[in-house]
Amino acid sequence: MGRDKYPRQSLGTLHSRIKQSRILMVGAGGIGCELLKNLVLTGFGEIHVVDLDTIDLSNLNRQFLFRHEHIKKSKALVAKESAGKFNPNVKIEAYHANIKDPQFNVDWFKSFAIVFNALDNLDARRHVNRMCLAADVPLIESGTTGFNGQVQVIKKGKTECYDCAGPRETPKSFPVCTIRSTPSQPIHCIVWAKSYLFTEIFGTSEDEAPELDHSESSDNAKEIENLQKETQALKKIRESMGSEEFPRKVFEKVFKDDIERLRSMEDMWKNRRPPEPLDYDAISQEALGVGPSIVRQDQVVWTVAENFAVFLNSLRRLSDRLEELRANADTGNAPPILTFDKDDEDTLDFVAASANLRSHIFGIETRSKFDIKQMAGNIIPAIATTNAMTAGLCVLQAFKVMRDDLNKARMVFLVRSTDRVIGSEVLRPPRPDCPVCSVVSSRLEVDASRATLGQLVDDFLRMQLGYGEEFSVSSEAGILYDPELDDNLSKSFSDLGLKNGSFITIVDEEDESPRVDLVLSISEQSLPDDMKPIHLAEKLEIPRKPKTAAPQTVNGSHDVAVTNGVSGSLGDGVTGKRKRDATDAGLEDEQIRKRGKVAEEPPKDDDVVVLEDSTNGAIFIDDD
Amino acid sequence: MSTGALPAEDAAGELVAAIAQAQTISADEIALYDRQIRLWGVKAQERIRTANILLISIKALASEVAKNLVLAGIGSLTIVDHEAVTEDDLCSQLFVSEADVGKNRAQAAVPQLQKLNPRVTITVDTSDIRSKPPEFYLPFDITIASDLDFATLCTINASTRLANRPFYAAGAHGFYGYIFADLISHTFVIEREKSNVPTVLRAESATRSVIGVSTKKENGKTIEMATKRELYTPLQLANTSPLAPEILRNRRKLKQTSLLLPCLRALWDFEKESARLPSTDTHADLERFTLLAMEKHKELQLPVETLKSDFLRSFLHNLGSELAPVTAFLGGQLAQDVINVLGQREQPIQNLLLFDGDESRGPVYALHPIFGDGLEAVMPVEPVVPMVPMVGAVNGGPVVALD
Repeated sequence: MGRDKYPRQSLGTLHSRIKQSRILMVGAGGIGCELLKNLVLTGFGEIHVVDLDTIDLSNLNRQFLFRHEHIKKSKALVAKESAGKFNPNVKIEAYHANIKDPQFNVDWFKSFAIVFNALDNLDARRHVNRMCLAADVPLIESGTTGFNGQVQVIKKGKTECYDCAGPRETPKSFPVCTIRSTPSQPIHCIVWAKSYLFTEIFGTSEDEAPELDHSESSDNAKEIENLQKETQALKKIRESMGSEEFPRKVFEKVFKDDIERLRSMEDMWKNRRPPEPLDYDAISQEALGVGPSIVRQDQVVWTVAENFAVFLNSLRRLSDRLEELRANADTGNAPPILTFDKDDEDTLDFVAASANLRSHIFGIETRSKFDIKQMAGNIIPAIATTNAMTAGLCVLQAFKVMRDDLNKARMVFLVRSTDRVIGSEVLRPPRPDCPVCSVVSSRLEVDASRATLGQLVDDFLRMQLGYGEEFSVSSEAGILYDPELDDNLSKSFSDLGLKNGSFITIVDEEDESPRVDLVLSISEQSLPDDMKPIHLAEKLEIPRKPKTAAPQTVNGSHDVAVTNGVSGSLGDGVTGKRKRDATDAGLEDEQIRKRGKVAEEPPKDDDVVVLEDSTNGAIFIDDD
Repeated sequence: MSTGALPAEDAAGELVAAIAQAQTISADEIALYDRQIRLWGVKAQERIRTANILLISIKALASEVAKNLVLAGIGSLTIVDHEAVTEDDLCSQLFVSEADVGKNRAQAAVPQLQKLNPRVTITVDTSDIRSKPPEFYLPFDITIASDLDFATLCTINASTRLANRPFYAAGAHGFYGYIFADLISHTFVIEREKSNVPTVLRAESATRSVIGVSTKKENGKTIEMATKRELYTPLQLANTSPLAPEILRNRRKLKQTSLLLPCLRALWDFEKESARLPSTDTHADLERFTLLAMEKHKELQLPVETLKSDFLRSFLHNLGSELAPVTAFLGGQLAQDVINVLGQREQPIQNLLLFDGDESRGPVYALHPIFGDGLEAVMPVEPVVPMVPMVGAVNGGPVVALD
């Protein structure tokens, strides 16, 4: 008995399948640590764990497989080490690697009975979703934010896929004039400090920053032009980095001269409080008494003088670092730059102090370094308990999948209500217009050295599959071919960077009943010379797209709302979660339906205890 | 019998322990607890870091609770358990391994538990909890008792009432489990964006009242902080209490009421009679349990047709088992409720949460002896008058009649 007793008691025959199963868990962070523990204790036979991340101090409050001495080590490898002790009968394989690496190809995904996503970003989630669809392996997708958690079961052709819900929240951006000329909230000043000031002084140009929306309009063309002049002037100042007067120059440029110019534009301040420029000499007097320990006080809101001191101090630290990098850089390479990282104290101090000085100028409330870190770094609150509950629900849903009882699997989410703690929803069928799962996917065997795009387009797609004139071929890198773009036809697959594990998508663009999208995963092989260099692994049937695309639901639970939990935060809704209203969760009807189904089952009549109750009727229990 | 706190093994351990003793939260702690402080704030974290928690009996569910509380950074944890680790415990308990079989269950778990967070003081007491007088509970901010029989839970609850301390009971059987809360009287704050409907000071339910409202400005929004109070009922009384009128009045809600409720009550009665779990191998046990479940089902005024043999069979089949995803869920939920209660934030469980891991359902039922005038009318709250454990109202006693 021992280790197997309870799982066998509760799971019955499913337990032996679990013991023999080979499963994959992607991500060994907050949900991953909890999930791995549950999987190991439940007795899954072989568990593969992939994570590219290393352990950080701020992980330790919830990622319980990691301890202080593990900081900077691989999450996957340490998780394997710690969780292995829970059950020596389980085999764990750990990979300190990116799940998008080519070694994790469709064939590799096919080797698993089930895949668990325990990820913290949209990009990897979408990749695994796609791989699981291509490999036709069920996926248990999960995410948490603060007190919220959610689990979704995804099975090709049976349920919605991760991308059926439509586009997730895109990074929030702000009009450039709000950031540069008329800020009204702390977040505007933080974006200014991080995406404009910091990058102009230490990084590459602000044009790269996704948080700034540069779409111009005729109303503000003049102001945009002025702003560009300001940027050019700041670039000039950057050249004097390392000199004694550099900090003063930067300060007076951005906190005095630019502000005075803005203030002079009276129209702008008719309905707003005009900004007040800062005086370098006056504040430096005030700042004389500020000690260096101020940067450690990240919970308190600093005074103007304290922000000034931190600004100068961090500007020096960052300048010194950049100077040193330049001194050591090889000539000929691109000049070194610094990038903002919330965990890099120098960059955080600079952004916090600069943002607060600007807030002060515009009469906006200033913030603590702790708060600014969250907003600038898109930090999402995370706790052990939410992860524990969510990971528990992941495994319970996996039981349904492994019992081939997909009808009983649910989309489940944590609820904070007085009458229940879990909400659930039936799994929806795939959306017929989903660009990711409502496609035909297949594997293409390719001799990449011989095969050309021209052969793919003419011999394979037109001759063999019967495509017409109007279609496009694209890879992850972009469009490779369409009727207007035929430059690449003579190039080989290798030249085009199409290698083992790459995907190419063929979109039929005929007006009359086009085919659904075709997704081909490339399997590199050296095919004999007498064989065509492009070969389809299996017979293909490509249906036509439905006549009218299903209308998008606007109301109800199909709405995509990201519960980010972070007010005023920037950036992608990392968990990409869906928040559902309790009333439209369809929970109650579903339960009634299921109860009905149970009632239809006839009681077994072999060896039963029959208990008579004059008012309640009889109920039956197996005596086994 | 107390073995005291584990000695810190190294200088670094001593240092962190010393930091933890400091009066206010340090920068190191803020860095460590960063992601949770961003959720519940420094004030709540300060309350958590000084909390003294009592955990009675440590099996799979309690191991999860202990893990979550230690990670969250409570001040100290005392574990009382007089039993030994068995072979079966290896299935589901993360802090024990082969070599621990035969050792005291709490002592076996502590070394692994301590490694999760050296700042927390962990103490083991290997005596039988039933030997403890009510004063024993006074130093503890919250008492959590799990996987114990009903009589023991009621004895502990009677003591926590006398000591005026919050109490949680919990248990797990395979796919099923429960969490019960008796917080006596608990005041907490709900923060939310101010709506255009004014929040008035009034009773929101038979047990919950809004007793204060204030507002603050944050990111240009007005945030409302509503102070609420929940009143509770001891386990013994809750166990004979009817469902809330809003369920009894609603046939659809009655039909949806989890069968776990009559089954759990039947199990508790069975344990009282026989001092053991019903065996699925014994005809007499099955018969007795089924009869009890039917009685409870009827007492609860649940519709006849909802009592299903499939469910009873499945419930009995799972008795005594521990399943990692289920104990993980319950341990997470219970620890979070404890953390919220310590931080005086968020709505706590009122008062019985049932968990069905097969259906992934987690309904919460408010079970109190009398509704209508509110619990305050029948339950003394402030100042707390020592209460004797209820007698007579348990063994198949009459259910409070409702119209």
